[in-house]
Amino acid sequence: MASLFGSRDRIDDLLTAPAPFVKRPEQNKGLLHPQRFMNMFGLIVFIAAMVLPFISATPYIISILTSALIYVMLAMGLNVVVGYAGLLDLGYVAFFAVGAYTSGILSTRLGWSVFETIPVVLLACVAAGIIIGGPTLRLRTDYLAIVTLGFGEIVRLTANNLAITGGPSGIHGIRTFSFFGWSFADGATLFGIDFNSKVLFYYFVLIVAGGLAVIGAARLGKGKLGRAWKSVRDDEDAAEAMGINTYRVKLSAYIIGAIWGGLAGVLMGSHLTAVSPTSFEFLYSALVLMAVVLGGMGSTPGVIIGALFISLAPELLRDFADWRYLIFGVLMVITMIFRPKGVWPANAMLPWLHRRSPMRSAAERDESDEAVVVTVPEPPEERRP
Amino acid sequence: MSNGIPRSKSRARSLFSTAALVASVALVLTGCSGGLGGSTDGGASAGADGEPIKLGMIAPFSGSESAFGDYMKNGAQLAVDEINKAGGVNGSQLELLTEDGACDPTTAVSAANKLVTAGVKGSVGGYCSGATLPTLPVFNDAGVVMIIPAANSNQLPAQGLDNVFLINGTGTQQAAAAVKYAQKMGATKLAVVDDNTDYSKDLAVSFTQQSKDAGLDVVLTESVNAGEKDYSANVNNVVKAMPDFVYWTGYYQEGGLITRQLRDAGYAGTILVGDGSVDKKFAEIAGAGYTDNVFATFTQTPDMLKGAEAWVASYKDQFGDEPGPYSTQSYDAVRVMAEGFKQAGSTDTKAVIDALMAIDGFQLFSGPLKFTPEHTLSSGGFAILSISEDGTFKLEDDLQG
Amino acid sequence: MTQLIWNGLFVGSFYALVAIGYSMVYGIIKLLNFAHGDVYMLGSFTGFLLLGSVSGLLGTWSLPVLLLVLLLSMLFTGTIGVIIEKVAYRPLRSSPRLAVLITAVGMSFVLEYGIRQIFGPSPRVFPVRLAGDPIFFLDARITLPQIVLMVIAAALMYFLQRYVMKSREGRAMRSIALDTQASLLMGVNVNKVISRTFFIGSALAGAAGVMAGAYYGSIDFLMGFIIGLKAFTAAVIGGIGNLYGAMLGGLVLGLLESFGTNWLGGQWRDVFAFACLIAFLSFKPTGLLGERVSERM
Repeated sequence: MASLFGSRDRIDDLLTAPAPFVKRPEQNKGLLHPQRFMNMFGLIVFIAAMVLPFISATPYIISILTSALIYVMLAMGLNVVVGYAGLLDLGYVAFFAVGAYTSGILSTRLGWSVFETIPVVLLACVAAGIIIGGPTLRLRTDYLAIVTLGFGEIVRLTANNLAITGGPSGIHGIRTFSFFGWSFADGATLFGIDFNSKVLFYYFVLIVAGGLAVIGAARLGKGKLGRAWKSVRDDEDAAEAMGINTYRVKLSAYIIGAIWGGLAGVLMGSHLTAVSPTSFEFLYSALVLMAVVLGGMGSTPGVIIGALFISLAPELLRDFADWRYLIFGVLMVITMIFRPKGVWPANAMLPWLHRRSPMRSAAERDESDEAVVVTVPEPPEERRP
Repeated sequence: MSNGIPRSKSRARSLFSTAALVASVALVLTGCSGGLGGSTDGGASAGADGEPIKLGMIAPFSGSESAFGDYMKNGAQLAVDEINKAGGVNGSQLELLTEDGACDPTTAVSAANKLVTAGVKGSVGGYCSGATLPTLPVFNDAGVVMIIPAANSNQLPAQGLDNVFLINGTGTQQAAAAVKYAQKMGATKLAVVDDNTDYSKDLAVSFTQQSKDAGLDVVLTESVNAGEKDYSANVNNVVKAMPDFVYWTGYYQEGGLITRQLRDAGYAGTILVGDGSVDKKFAEIAGAGYTDNVFATFTQTPDMLKGAEAWVASYKDQFGDEPGPYSTQSYDAVRVMAEGFKQAGSTDTKAVIDALMAIDGFQLFSGPLKFTPEHTLSSGGFAILSISEDGTFKLEDDLQG
Repeated sequence: MTQLIWNGLFVGSFYALVAIGYSMVYGIIKLLNFAHGDVYMLGSFTGFLLLGSVSGLLGTWSLPVLLLVLLLSMLFTGTIGVIIEKVAYRPLRSSPRLAVLITAVGMSFVLEYGIRQIFGPSPRVFPVRLAGDPIFFLDARITLPQIVLMVIAAALMYFLQRYVMKSREGRAMRSIALDTQASLLMGVNVNKVISRTFFIGSALAGAAGVMAGAYYGSIDFLMGFIIGLKAFTAAVIGGIGNLYGAMLGGLVLGLLESFGTNWLGGQWRDVFAFACLIAFLSFKPTGLLGERVSERM
């Protein structure tokens, strides 16, 4: 049947998109599929972290690795705020402090087990997120930066001045986690291997921080909310025009960040057995922010690398004694100059994808034979976070 | 920037370099012994022939308190060198390992773990109480005896750990000396100024409490923020409260400035400063003519004791600098630790603790040593010092009479 | 009361001098220069070294020598500011803004711990101290050095204002702040103007450093950190990027601190100052004199 608009073939022609100028390479199959490869890679790193105590379990190694993992969790939380939602937060340790102090006070003064304090910590963090975020998220970046900085300082100074938070000495004697009468302090023997409390705590932190927190934040970033965050980051007005309630989306990012920070605080309090206001100075907010930016904002592998660098580099540089912060500063400047988007940016490509990239093959052809004119479409504007 | 080629190389490189890094870290780690499956008695067997006995010291070498780290380290090193020259302890030499605690709990805990892993048999460090507290369980678990030279918060003995000894007078003892002196001066209206850090606040709270018990009137407690230069607003508060006696419980950096600014603002009464302010720099910062009627609470200083000129001279000789706050205490901490090892005949934790508790009359800068059941000094040995023309502190009143 | 106001204004004028540099740099390249406070510290150490080398002249010629040292230190810190910009900020100009923030923190570490390696961690005492008998004005104690320092600060700010508002170079600065691309097209040498801005901002911070050293007497390697934070706060209160805003913000912050200490005691002073800042920004989100800018990180 002939239609008014011509033959059926003609309509199909009209409806298909024009063929690309350069043939698109096929998707990788199997292990080389980017997503699958990254998942595998992450799993390997995780297993390596599981095996590590079997290679070396000195108190020092376990201690700095536990701290490093807690930093990873903190950085993942801040990544939601800064990397995904694009809100510059210079007072992120405020949430770390809220979590650590809430759990510390409840466990030392009221004798709760640290595990039981978690619901209260969650409530406190959500409340803190709303109190800090509520009035300020209307502000644009630099004003938001100073306001968050101010809140960070207010939290620290208040903790320093109040009696219930132990004043400048802080809280000490926080016990390790215990579940229904069994505590890490008891140790455990599995398959004839003794696990002491520190190693058990390391595994616990590895699962909570290294596993749940990283996967949780990364998956949030990929979901509907995550896309809303990124759209707010890239263009707030356009996001609003597309029907996103930008205020609520920003506040949700803030609250998620607060929860991550607070839970990291609980872990840190339990790890160090003590909390003191000196741990929450502005410098540490700056350091966590550095972890996120140095690694690559919005990029999960990047942020993990950044957090490990920030927490482990001063330890590895201990032998340089007086020089270590000088070297640390120089390293930071050099890294940023050579990798301005971070060590592993969010839009990083795996090496074999590059080789197959149409842009690259076109460019190579350009170089090899000037005479052949290949029309190359404008590359997509790189996303500026 | 629009061309992807140069970056692609560096990106590939970064991935491979990450992989290489992971691999090399794994290699390094496999080199270490002491994994979970293997034998777990990682610590070096100390006390054996030729093997030095390691002493660990955590002090601030970075951050705002880093001025004190070197004073402590040098003082301790001096004692270690002297003891080694005299043949060491139990036939072994001593070795001092210092780590940066930065007055930050996280850094201090990893420093403590590092020292424990290195196999130290005693700890002679500890400066900020807030950062020292979380290291106590680490050393306790490892059976390392701690002699804390500087940190003196009342919280430290309150933990009730039997490996922890304090050889600095506690805040309570120092405040007692300050109150005694205020009474002696006939002061009635006291003001106390602290710098909002743990040590200073602890002392200020003790002082306020004991003054009230002694029937003196504390008209003002004021806190300043350490690290600033302008304290005119705080000074204004003090002057308005019209005290006749001001006790500054913080360190000399701010103490000098506050003394000067107090005098500039017209305060003429007595100024007493705590032991953290006893440094030659105090008078320099305050400036000439600003140190009249300024006194300090302090344990006996080297120049008050016989033979101490030699000590100061050898310190200067070795490090090219004057000894500072806590140099003497760190020096004493090492000597007490060595004495403990000597009396115990080994570095066994239990034996050393018993030996330390049995010490009676071992001569320290602050007087003869005898530990109380709480492992603090039986007498703080605090005296009142005044400042001489050249800025050094000299004995004014030993508060004995 | 007048004493409180005077104290606040005096401290505030230091904040204002440092805040101007912050604000100018921010206005032009939208960078929070965290190393700026450390340039202030560098200024006071430069003054310390210079004064130490001419200490023979200090007895009779104190004030002129001090002014000369002030100028030389300003030259030096200005040059250092230009070098910092060239080394650490210029390569990253087309990168995300936060990347530059990180190099700024890195530079701050380098300056702080570099000075620590040279001069050691304990504070140094300035070889010359400004002292004078107090004058009483409406119950407030005012000393001559305070007046001299405030006059110098005011003079520096006045010259700066003339320079930025009236001169050709100043117009170039303002045009870059308004639209970098357009000024580039109109023939403004953007790199040169940015260098110049860094020179001026750093020189002012250096001047504040020397003045603080001469007045308070003791300097240390971390002294820039706190004043850097305060100056940042002051710049934001005034409306960041705005020259008059930075001056006004500095004075306002000084007053807030002075009154906060008096009302609540020293330990709550910063809480009070920051709480005022937050409350204020919630109502007027662009600062005292700032205009609404729409920009992204």
